Amino acid sequence: MTLQEGMPGGRYRVQGTALPLGLARRLQALGMTHGCPVQVLRKKRRGAMIIKIRGSRFALGQAVSTRILVEEE
Amino acid sequence: MAQEHGKAGQPSVSIGFAGNPNCGKTTLFNAYTGANLKVANWPGVTVEKKEGRFRLHNHEYRLVDLPGAYSLTSYTMEEQVTRQYILSDEVDVIIDVADASALERNLYLTLQLIELGKPVILALNMMDIVEKRGMEIDTHRLPEMLGIPVIPVSARRKTGLDILMHAAAHHHGQGEEAMPLIHHHGGAEGPARTSATRHKHQHHKEFAMVYSDGIEDKIDQLMERLEKQYPGLQNPRWHAIKLLENDPEITKAFPLEGPAVLDRSYEQDIINEKYDFIKEVIDEVLVNKDKKAAVTDRADEVFTHPVWGLPIFLLIMALVFFLTFTIGDWLKGYFEWGLEVFSGGVLSGLEFLQVAPPLISLLVDGIIAGVGGILTFLPNIVILFLALAFLEDSGYMARVAYVMDGIMGRLGLSGRSFIPMILGFGCTVPAIMASRALENKKDRFKTMLITPFMSCSARLPIYVLFSQLFFGGYAMLAAYSMYVLGLVVAVLVALLIHLFDRKSEEEKALSGGSALLIELPEYKAPSAHTIFIYVWEKVKDYLTKAGTTIFVASIFMWFLLNFGPQGYSQDMSQTFGSQLGQFIVPFFAPIGLGFWQIVVALIAGISAKEVVVSSCAVLFSVSNVTSPAGMEALSGVLASIGFGPLNAYALMTFSLLYVPCAATLATIKRESGSWGWTLFSAAFQIMTAWVATFIVYNVGALFL
Repeated sequence: MTLQEGMPGGRYRVQGTALPLGLARRLQALGMTHGCPVQVLRKKRRGAMIIKIRGSRFALGQAVSTRILVEEE
Repeated sequence: MAQEHGKAGQPSVSIGFAGNPNCGKTTLFNAYTGANLKVANWPGVTVEKKEGRFRLHNHEYRLVDLPGAYSLTSYTMEEQVTRQYILSDEVDVIIDVADASALERNLYLTLQLIELGKPVILALNMMDIVEKRGMEIDTHRLPEMLGIPVIPVSARRKTGLDILMHAAAHHHGQGEEAMPLIHHHGGAEGPARTSATRHKHQHHKEFAMVYSDGIEDKIDQLMERLEKQYPGLQNPRWHAIKLLENDPEITKAFPLEGPAVLDRSYEQDIINEKYDFIKEVIDEVLVNKDKKAAVTDRADEVFTHPVWGLPIFLLIMALVFFLTFTIGDWLKGYFEWGLEVFSGGVLSGLEFLQVAPPLISLLVDGIIAGVGGILTFLPNIVILFLALAFLEDSGYMARVAYVMDGIMGRLGLSGRSFIPMILGFGCTVPAIMASRALENKKDRFKTMLITPFMSCSARLPIYVLFSQLFFGGYAMLAAYSMYVLGLVVAVLVALLIHLFDRKSEEEKALSGGSALLIELPEYKAPSAHTIFIYVWEKVKDYLTKAGTTIFVASIFMWFLLNFGPQGYSQDMSQTFGSQLGQFIVPFFAPIGLGFWQIVVALIAGISAKEVVVSSCAVLFSVSNVTSPAGMEALSGVLASIGFGPLNAYALMTFSLLYVPCAATLATIKRESGSWGWTLFSAAFQIMTAWVATFIVYNVGALFL
């Protein structure tokens, strides 16, 4: 499943990304590495979501969250 | 090492402040230096460089605030600047400011800083938040694992500050050997130690960050080659790691001869292993991980609510402008009174001294009227910047990007583009600079094109003056409408570009939504000190502008309007200004601004938009243009040339939308790196302003 399909309050593990290299590296530097737990905090019906990785919150646009693969924890 | 000696032979220590964005680095930096800063740009780039000096216990300290960065790759300008500066000889010690409440992510930068080889001290900021949440950090074990001193501080409460500086001076003198590294890795050292070939070195006593055997082998090979080919290279281990990561800058600067060592980029492996090690550190030093629900989560329930988030944001902005106008105007009254007294005093003083009338005219009608008129708007501007600083420092601004992401997505922009637009209400120059945070180049250019339409504080004097002159009780509404109009035009322009835009490869790879990515920091009570310094910087800019650009423009205007082909002339219609204005009047006639005085004021306004007001003061020789008496005089003169409310509204509209000030144009040039784009942007704005004013004027004429 993609992170975009995650539900608010749900906890997932990152399996990989299908993003351009620069953005992928940026996310990894922020701590979104393979197998890292990620929690979905809030989500709008369409579009952006707020997630928590390694203790910090990030807002992600739809184009990013649909390209992050996760599995349920 | 740059062991300079300050005055009286005191040793001087150069300290670089590094840290993630939002870690409280600037607050900590300000706590040491106060408003006593030197702000400039890093050579060659438009990244701001802040420098301060202070003295403590016989040591002179030179502090440099490095740009906030999450890592030290060479993907962004900020990261490159930080990296190059730390590698240079200019810095003795690095203070790495970490947000203790997000220690895990902050340690990633720490590990990279340690690898750079300079002495590093970790300043654990926001320990109060950590304690409030019932968490504990083992500040004894953390330095053992990292091999660097760790000092808990609170930038807001100003605790731990002296100890931190003392540690910096001390650490700088001793070098790195003084700190022992103690790791308990048991029998099998290091993470991911599964490979059959054991690495021949035992690095755990030397380096905090030790990679898996496969990578350590590669580092050794690369180091050997680097040392042979580039003898005397400092810190070959770091260079080897960067080569392994396929870092563009280092790969280019240090090409290796002979057979290739690298079969691929090991960047991802290196990032993963760093985070694996950080996990080990966190497991050992962090007790009671995040038990209590954070305040931030509860605040976000409200501020990022799917339905109420947007109305709440609009309400906040309405409140900001309400405060700007009401409290600002109330205080402005006192400034006007002061100006009137001053101007009258100077006039009678000069007359008493029997100074030549042209000189009196230059001083009173030119300089005092021009510069003084602008100074009376200082209260409005202070309040607007106070509010913006409050929104930024509290952590709310980043949420706006999330709240606005849906709407901005429809315009083909990410929610993040909205932050430069809000800052544009304050001043267009920093707003254009803030567009740098956008990763996509096309988004950046688009944001740079529409940000000048957001009504900046320099345009405020124009609205306040003309709406008070012509719209009486509806003055505030008329001024508000300008802010809305600017926003509407910005949105329409973005929408038009989006509709006619063909997508680039990069965007295709990210199509189907916005590519927003922004950290949402913890909410915090804004620091009064940080806000004070932020506002003071802006006020200083404003006063400098009044003292330089507006001062010169006022003298120049006075000259244009008092001299003509026949020399000094009391009859303004015989002056250079009038002739120039009349030449251009036909261009402005269809939009209700066919008055040569207004034309001259608008042209002068390109130097800075406040100059439109100061020029009117000079043009119509009204000495105290913002006072009731001055306004009466001005409206009388305007009425006599047939300039009515509709013309005033057209003037406000045109002022809102036409070419931003010279400083903004210079910033657009710097940020875009292209004169072509800058000229296009200026021409585009004049065209938009003309069309919009044409519509406003002609539609308005139907109803009046």
